[in-house]
Amino acid sequence: MLKKTLLLTLLSMSMLFGIAESNIKTEMSSKIENITTILQDKMLPLASKKEQIYLNIDSVFDYKTMSKISLGKKWKRLSADEKNRFTTAFEAKLKNSYFEKLELYTDQKVRVKELEKIKATRIQLHSDIVGVEETYEVIYKFFKVKNSSDWLIYDVEITGVSIIQTYRKQFAEFLKSKSFDELLISL
Amino acid sequence: MKYLIVMFFMIAILTGCAKKIDVSPQKSTNTTLIEESEVDEFADEFDDENREVFDPLQGYNRWMTDANDKIYMYLFNPVSEGYATVVPKTARIGLSNFFHNLKFPIRFSNNLLQLKFDASMKELGRFMINSTVGVLGFVDVAKMEGIEPQEEDFGQTLGYYGVGSGFHVVLPFFGPSNLRDTLGFGVDTWMDPVSTGDLEYQAVEKSAQSLGITTGYYVNKNSLHLGEYENLKKDALDLYLFFRDSYEQKRAKEIEE
Repeated sequence: MLKKTLLLTLLSMSMLFGIAESNIKTEMSSKIENITTILQDKMLPLASKKEQIYLNIDSVFDYKTMSKISLGKKWKRLSADEKNRFTTAFEAKLKNSYFEKLELYTDQKVRVKELEKIKATRIQLHSDIVGVEETYEVIYKFFKVKNSSDWLIYDVEITGVSIIQTYRKQFAEFLKSKSFDELLISL
Repeated sequence: MKYLIVMFFMIAILTGCAKKIDVSPQKSTNTTLIEESEVDEFADEFDDENREVFDPLQGYNRWMTDANDKIYMYLFNPVSEGYATVVPKTARIGLSNFFHNLKFPIRFSNNLLQLKFDASMKELGRFMINSTVGVLGFVDVAKMEGIEPQEEDFGQTLGYYGVGSGFHVVLPFFGPSNLRDTLGFGVDTWMDPVSTGDLEYQAVEKSAQSLGITTGYYVNKNSLHLGEYENLKKDALDLYLFFRDSYEQKRAKEIEE
């Protein structure tokens, strides 16, 4: 077990952090392909499926930035410890929700489309999930990491709905009447 | 003169001090400043989280969201699940294609109204191909040929001409909507081939028939999307707000396109 964890950490460390601009499309395509293969592998137990998929996405999803944006102005008022606890909880929530969505669309095709450079520090990767009836557009939003040439994902938009925006609104509303600790529990 | 020089020095010293005071805290909190600017850097891409949404019907909307949720979980979903076990998937997809093809007038006219002639022609082409080669629309041949449906409704048409969304309204059975889209929905229903009306192509005579067909349409549609609603629900801290914001974001994007 220890060996395995060590190996996994090493693996994920080596893949940290981000993708170079010119590689975004190819690397994301191969990641999506990997994920599809993992999902369709009927021999693999659920727990290892999750583990392997998370390994694929951890190197491109910036959970800390996602946490920051989702809390908005409230983020600045948190202590370092609260920030860490929130990021951990939110990361788990996001991953779990992502995995459950993937499970619904196991036998559907993903089409990676064009890259769109919004500005110097923002790139969007457009992709389609081709369903039985409709096609759902999924946009991965990347930002350029400061003082580096690497890019990370800070938001995912599914059929026009930004995941982080939706959480942001709900968190703000939640914190109007409830405490930060209650928010952590409900995550 | 002497007095002036003294004053000058005093001002110089004071501003110098002030500058020093300005500088020192900046240095000590350098890291937090960087973090703050990072958050702010994203702020313009996201809606202000504390912005109050004009939502006069919130009380009713929340109640209706719960009611719809119960109707869905205890009535609509079990019926769709039962239906899905009896009717094979291919047949259900066929039926879904048939209904989609039937509703062509809605998409076609709304594309025209938004002056999207290219999209209108695609819709017309799809309707002609699918109604004939696609056996009355049961097979979406056009899509296989790469001609994708061009979804437009009257709510989007109104949005295209600058009509704002108005406040949010949760409709019974149909779920999230707003003032503009409810009006749009009314107009689309009026054009709908399966509603009772005086339009040439509307063959349904009794509203009971129309209601039956519409229910069938939604049960069939839902049978192809089982589990999705429950899945979405898990992302919600507050079901009403979650659906409201997702809906408004989705519509804004659809109109923008």
